[in-house]
Amino acid sequence: MKIFRNPDVMWREETEHKQQALKALADGGEAEEIGASILFLNGTMLTLNLLGTEIWSRCDAIDPDRLVADLSEIFDVDTETLKADVMDFLGELQEKGFIRYEQ
Amino acid sequence: MSNDWLPEAPLIINFALTNKCNFKCKHCYSRNDPDDELDTAGARLCVESLKEAGVLSLNFGGGEPLLRKDLLEIAALAAGLGMTVSMNSNGFRLDRETARTLKTAGFSKVGISLDSPQAEVHDGFRGVPGSFERASNALGYLNEADIGTSISSVICRINYREIEGLIGLARKTKAGQLNFHNFKCTGLGYANKSELDLTPEEWKEFYKAALEARKNTHDLNISLDDPIISSLGESRAGSLVKGSVCGKLSLNIKTNGDITPCGFIPLVIGNILKDDLHQLWASSPVLERLRNKKPTGKCASCSNYEDCLGGCTARALALTGDINSPDPHCWK
Repeated sequence: MKIFRNPDVMWREETEHKQQALKALADGGEAEEIGASILFLNGTMLTLNLLGTEIWSRCDAIDPDRLVADLSEIFDVDTETLKADVMDFLGELQEKGFIRYEQ
Repeated sequence: MSNDWLPEAPLIINFALTNKCNFKCKHCYSRNDPDDELDTAGARLCVESLKEAGVLSLNFGGGEPLLRKDLLEIAALAAGLGMTVSMNSNGFRLDRETARTLKTAGFSKVGISLDSPQAEVHDGFRGVPGSFERASNALGYLNEADIGTSISSVICRINYREIEGLIGLARKTKAGQLNFHNFKCTGLGYANKSELDLTPEEWKEFYKAALEARKNTHDLNISLDDPIISSLGESRAGSLVKGSVCGKLSLNIKTNGDITPCGFIPLVIGNILKDDLHQLWASSPVLERLRNKKPTGKCASCSNYEDCLGGCTARALALTGDINSPDPHCWK
């Protein structure tokens, strides 16, 4: 099964906020609460932090395991924890209609 | 995510292409606005500026957008640039062929004004006989053309106890969404306030019933995005900001290119053809005030202020002259 973005979702990376998040991480700080992108579907809006943004931007016909492998090269987190976080997040996106799984 | 998060540019722009209209609505906010309009070249430049700023969604209004001869050209430009394109229309001129051309131009959604399940009540409110039937038919043509639809109902004295009837109308016309727009005392809405507006207690009655109806309606998306409903325990899920969204997620562009926080707030912050939208968004003193309202009067001691932020800023400004005044519709 591969992950696909719902084509009806409007989204935008927030360039300045993303840079702010990257700088916070580089400085050893927290970036979890910084919205690095925004998604909008049928009146529902989501802001995504850096990890969420990196996940979302890759949701284009990608296998979940491949996605986790890609992210593990960017984020310094053990693979099991990363996989759990990613799958939780994908579940939320799927429930809200922002992504779908297809063969 | 913290509530003071602000996007780097507006997500949604409401663009009044024309103030011309074939209707005579009793609540019209733009009836007395000037006639000057951007020409086609100006409107195209406007769309290109919006794209450059990062705007995601462009909604045409007015006036009646279908009276603008270059609507399709401007819409196609916006859609081609990747923006989601929609409009609000009275539906009177929207026949089957027009629906097809709207689809071709890239419209993804069209909202049609329908204020009552009773034809004579709608026609009387909109000032044009036959408008109910034409609007209902327009929804059918839009559905045939595979364009998303919604019904926009301006809630006021003629319909605030017609919630179930309006839901039935939405089902009958297969509208994808039903929007309950709260009445604004702007333009003719101000002149006809005593005839049309509700008392705060009546607004409370309406919202309690509407929230209950929404909870029990599973086949239709019902939208009633009014900040004051937070005092009824409504979380306004899906909204990124508290209080009014105007100037926080969206802006309005008038027919001459002037930019205001919303169509009901007559405070011009700049002009789309003369000013840099990104810079206005970041540094407009008017937007700064809207985003940082101060509680006054009963708001100062209200436990809901943190969620509703004084309610609808347009209503407060229209009736008191102060954006920080409590929303006149508030029943608390």
